[in-house]
Amino acid sequence: MPILMHIDMNSFFASVEQQANPFLRGKPIAVTGKKFDAREAHKPQRSIVAAASVEAKKLGVKTAMPTSEAKRICPNLIFVPGDPEKYSNITHKMNDVFREVTGLVEPASVDESFLDVTAQAEDYMGAIILAQHIRARLKEVCGEHISVSIGVGPNKLIAKLGSGSEKPNGLTVVYPHQVLEFMDKQDLSEIYGIGRRILKRLHSLGIETVTELRMTSLSKLVKEFKSYGVWLYRASRGDGDIIVNPDPEAPKSIGHSYTFPHDLESKTDIRRALLTLADKVAFRMRRDGFSATAVSVRLRYSDLSSRVFQKRFNEREINGKTLMEIAWRLCEPYANAPIRLVGISAHRLSTELPEQDLFSTKHRELSFLGALDKIQNKFGKHAWRRASLMNTWLKARSSGWHYDHEL
Amino acid sequence: MHNFLNDPVDVVVTFSEQRVRPVRMRWDNREYNINNVHLIHTAKEGEKRIFYFSVSDQINAFKLKLDTNSLEWRLVEVYSD
Repeated sequence: MPILMHIDMNSFFASVEQQANPFLRGKPIAVTGKKFDAREAHKPQRSIVAAASVEAKKLGVKTAMPTSEAKRICPNLIFVPGDPEKYSNITHKMNDVFREVTGLVEPASVDESFLDVTAQAEDYMGAIILAQHIRARLKEVCGEHISVSIGVGPNKLIAKLGSGSEKPNGLTVVYPHQVLEFMDKQDLSEIYGIGRRILKRLHSLGIETVTELRMTSLSKLVKEFKSYGVWLYRASRGDGDIIVNPDPEAPKSIGHSYTFPHDLESKTDIRRALLTLADKVAFRMRRDGFSATAVSVRLRYSDLSSRVFQKRFNEREINGKTLMEIAWRLCEPYANAPIRLVGISAHRLSTELPEQDLFSTKHRELSFLGALDKIQNKFGKHAWRRASLMNTWLKARSSGWHYDHEL
Repeated sequence: MHNFLNDPVDVVVTFSEQRVRPVRMRWDNREYNINNVHLIHTAKEGEKRIFYFSVSDQINAFKLKLDTNSLEWRLVEVYSD
């Protein structure tokens, strides 16, 4: 039977900041989502708490809370601007430590990974020893102040619930014979994969606990939730995925979205934002050897309503400007109200490159883009800039899923 | 107080066990003894590798940037209570 570990860094971004700066230790701090710009310090910024320190959490500050609300709850809260390059370096160091133990490491996000330690641990006592070894190595490599919670169990679901059940610095081991008893102690909302909407639907069916979910028949769950009902049926029995995949799957789409610190009011600003994002998308496509035959664009308005538009096309595309033009034709009639978020994604990805006619304009454009990519690879992402985008800057963000500068 | 700067500084370092460790810094005509190195991380600007050192003396935390191409040191953050 497999032995899996889920390792979750506690209050990750905040812990890294407290490791870097001893004067922040023991204090309530909140790392903000976007990198601070001293030139804009006088303007009220739209930002969220990307991570709160253990001390701030005790006072009620939560991840994803608007900074204004966090300050109201905790007036002495210290805001620290996010520093994604610092965090990504620690993420890589942590995963390197995990790979010293096993080759089967699957990063689940920037601050959590699954490990398959079946062969190395041999049994659960071996897994406990490995977990303590990993914890000690992380302190050596990353610093004393960075801590992790570890869950050990027979599958990913149980290992993840285990790491979440004792924070910070916990080690929870769930033996196979304890799985049902362990599941019965969990809240439905704690189970990864049961979001707010599903929870509401479960409540409407009279299902309030994991035990009640397990008592519900498979046919009833499938009738209500289709194939997702099978997953719920298995999850209620503590039956989760056992495959730890160290190789990331090929992407189905490549996209970028961005919440602006201030609402975009004019069509010119929205179009420029779209072009900035489309250029980033296209650069990643060219770098990773993909072309696309569909694009989608998302606008979120200041009242938090959203619209999404999508279009397929025949010719393979790798040029950000062309992707933006297609997207703009779709969304322009709806780009009137103040807009807080713009997103663009390329879909129907293929490793086939666009057909090129040696004497066409397109051939010249693609050669030109190739030259710009070389410049960017050599001198960094700020090495060139479209003249029309001189006033459109996207700040580096610290989010839980990826690091912008690594995309 | 958290200040963000980009000031050139002079830094005295030790080399030991293939590691660089800043021990003293001169910034704005003042010398600062670096008591502790808390975190070292790297970043890339294109092909260029940058090292960042998060260090402190008795009353300040500093973030120093070392450009490995030009071997230039800059002070990019200062924090004091």
